[in-house]
Amino acid sequence: MQPLRRRLISSSRLYHSYDHPAPPAATFNQVETAILDASLPHIPTYGFTQTTLLRGARDAGYLDASTNIFPRGPFTLIHYHLVIQRLSLAKQSHILQRSNSNEQPLSIASKVKALTWARLMGNKDIVHRWQEALALMAQPTNVTTSVVELSSLADEIWFLSGDTSVDSSWYTKRASLSTIYASTEVFMTTDKSHGFEETRNFMDRRFSDAQNLGVALGSLNQWVGFTAHAGLNILRSKGIRL
Amino acid sequence: MATRSVLRPLLRSRQLPSFSAQRSLSTSLRRADSPSQPSNHERTTHFGFETVPEAEKEARVAGVFSNVAASYDTMNDFMSLGIHRLWKDHFVRSINPGSPNQAWKMLDIAGGTGDIAFRLLDHATNINSSPASTITISDINPAMLAEGKKRSLETAYANSPRLDFLVANAENLHTIPSNSIDLYTVAFGIRNFTDKDKALREAYRVLKPGGVFACLEFSGVTNPILDAVYKQWSFGAIPMIGQLVAGDRASYQYLVESIEKFPKQEEFKNMIQNAGFVVPGKGWEDLTFGIAAIHKGIKPIETKA
Repeated sequence: MQPLRRRLISSSRLYHSYDHPAPPAATFNQVETAILDASLPHIPTYGFTQTTLLRGARDAGYLDASTNIFPRGPFTLIHYHLVIQRLSLAKQSHILQRSNSNEQPLSIASKVKALTWARLMGNKDIVHRWQEALALMAQPTNVTTSVVELSSLADEIWFLSGDTSVDSSWYTKRASLSTIYASTEVFMTTDKSHGFEETRNFMDRRFSDAQNLGVALGSLNQWVGFTAHAGLNILRSKGIRL
Repeated sequence: MATRSVLRPLLRSRQLPSFSAQRSLSTSLRRADSPSQPSNHERTTHFGFETVPEAEKEARVAGVFSNVAASYDTMNDFMSLGIHRLWKDHFVRSINPGSPNQAWKMLDIAGGTGDIAFRLLDHATNINSSPASTITISDINPAMLAEGKKRSLETAYANSPRLDFLVANAENLHTIPSNSIDLYTVAFGIRNFTDKDKALREAYRVLKPGGVFACLEFSGVTNPILDAVYKQWSFGAIPMIGQLVAGDRASYQYLVESIEKFPKQEEFKNMIQNAGFVVPGKGWEDLTFGIAAIHKGIKPIETKA
């Protein structure tokens, strides 16, 4: 009865449950999860490879043969990393809720930025291996999953930041964030600066570009509206009934 | 099924006179004195399109394969236009058997002529440098196994401890200890088993936790147009090729009927799961529009609850 009551109280019914977030088991079964979990620590050393999966299988108590559970091979490792990192964003409570009442809660835009940065930092330990992952993700058989995962990430970030838009900006927001994230991620693979300072600057510039574009589009919109109105009024002043 | 009803009179008319009364197999004529009509008390199963008592199916399947043992590969080449070799290669490649630091103990069920077993050993040795991996070729039919022994003499594995043979029923592998096998394969065999669920449970028993069940078997063509073409080929041409090349129409008629009767992809996947296996991805991989399919299952490690 509990969930039912809660749902009745809330005026709009959400598809997302805060109390029962979908477990990664929806995408990965028990054997996959066990082996993949054990494989993660081997990624910095062996990369996104079959070797990592074999090591993981052994660490989890499985056999080398058990890697047959992964028909897509090392790509599943990448997919798992993407899913795990995406789901971990919901736990970034220092961004999402300011426990200290003295601090101002972050604006939606700042939350988006902070979460994007948090997600990029999720690649910190494996960034020297990320180019090979990107190569695998770009292969024709994997590209669908990769793109779906990218759009899920953009959606997750906007959702967690509290965006509730239901107009065309829903799409443009996700599309622009996906572009920013993907380009910054690629930039990060070549960044050697301390604490990924360069990447941080790169990301900030992309966000301000997007903002400028948004402002420009808004101004253009305003100008078109004003001109159209003015035009109508001129016609009306000439005695045309409109 | 429309195709079938159109073909049926055609097939009938082509049948040898001695078989015309009953669509039974040449081998079952020896058993003709025993009534093959199932009584109400007996459990029954499919033998092609016929319904026979469970007790009888094993013997009749044995008959079929004793007949075709020698010409088995030639016939497969004719029937599948050589594609069965590609399927088998792909099957073995997808399993990727053997690993340098871990010798695999493999079991090839219904592997009579050894074509899967030799491929598995080759792959383990040459690709994964695992010269300690071994395989047991098991078949219920001594004639098929004899063919495999003969062929093994031409390979590097003849008389080596890496290869041994076992005459056994896949539903009861009592000579093989539980939790002892890394990889259990069955290629184009399981559809002939009397009790498939029992065989799957037995596979689950002999496999180590984490071990792999891999099955290559005919399945259902998903595209209805291609399916119609495929049915024409299988019911029209294959029994005829069987008659011309192997001089045995009835055995090949059984072959195509048993393919038709075998559970399709989704259903067979559920059978594998019911035996306790965890299936990778959607559970199977279609080959050539689904004419054949590779099904896999992993025996999970039991978590201490």
